[in-house]
Amino acid sequence: MSSTARDWESLELPAPIPEIVVKPDRMQIFMFSAATWNRHRIHYDKDAALDEGLPDVVVQRSLIGNFLARLLTQWLGDTGDIYELSWRVLASVVPGLSLRCTGQVLTIETVEGARYADCEVYMADEAGNSVATGRARLRLH
Amino acid sequence: MLAEARALIGVTKVRRCEVTARDIRRFAQAIGATDPVHFDEDYARSTRYGRVVAPPLFCQSLAYEDVPPDRLPADGSPIEVCLPIPARRTVGGDSTFTVHRPVHAGETIVVTSQLKDVYAKEGRSGLLFMVVIETRFDDADGAPVASETATYIKRA
Repeated sequence: MSSTARDWESLELPAPIPEIVVKPDRMQIFMFSAATWNRHRIHYDKDAALDEGLPDVVVQRSLIGNFLARLLTQWLGDTGDIYELSWRVLASVVPGLSLRCTGQVLTIETVEGARYADCEVYMADEAGNSVATGRARLRLH
Repeated sequence: MLAEARALIGVTKVRRCEVTARDIRRFAQAIGATDPVHFDEDYARSTRYGRVVAPPLFCQSLAYEDVPPDRLPADGSPIEVCLPIPARRTVGGDSTFTVHRPVHAGETIVVTSQLKDVYAKEGRSGLLFMVVIETRFDDADGAPVASETATYIKRA
């Protein structure tokens, strides 16, 4: 975890969240299915995925959420935590794609003494096609 | 068409899960999280957490009921979304995940899942059926740890 303090008062909004790039492969999709005990065949059985009209096995919706969570936690370091993350998968994600995760802080507010930041987050493939989009509320320290 | 499935709205299942350091380490590896706060007890002591903590969405790993494989539908999709709906294929749609506090090794998490809604929607390629599942993760004292509301998309 990198930074331990951040001057939220003087952050110029919207503030960009530095990009991370992830490249899930078959092993990672398998490990995530194993860790979550997700036996859905479309994540490890290519024939089953093709039979359902998918281009290959697909990355789990939940794993995509974890990539967006990593974008946020790596940027926050010790300066805050994720309170809420909402995301929507817009396209099937197959193994081997480089996925660019980015976002921006839109607003910062204080509610009952606690400071929160509201953000947009996005994930796009190498060609720039949007594959997931979401919003996050961060609890700031 | 959906009367039988909609009659199941509100049906709730409760399970208890023990969380181990190994569960947390494997989840961190599965999502590509390399921060030693998820697996190195000595390092974790020097952080603001004071001990190993799970990644924020860790409770996802407790969400699917580990029923024996012969109880799963043929496509292996989660038992939670196995409903009397005229649809064969299932994919994940959207999700809202709320984190109240980090999860530690050794705790018991009470998992409560409920079918919140089932409805049909006209999609680009035909009729879609949306299945909304809400899962609450509470600690042994009943205090909230996390929750998730996830929508699955089923189609013919």
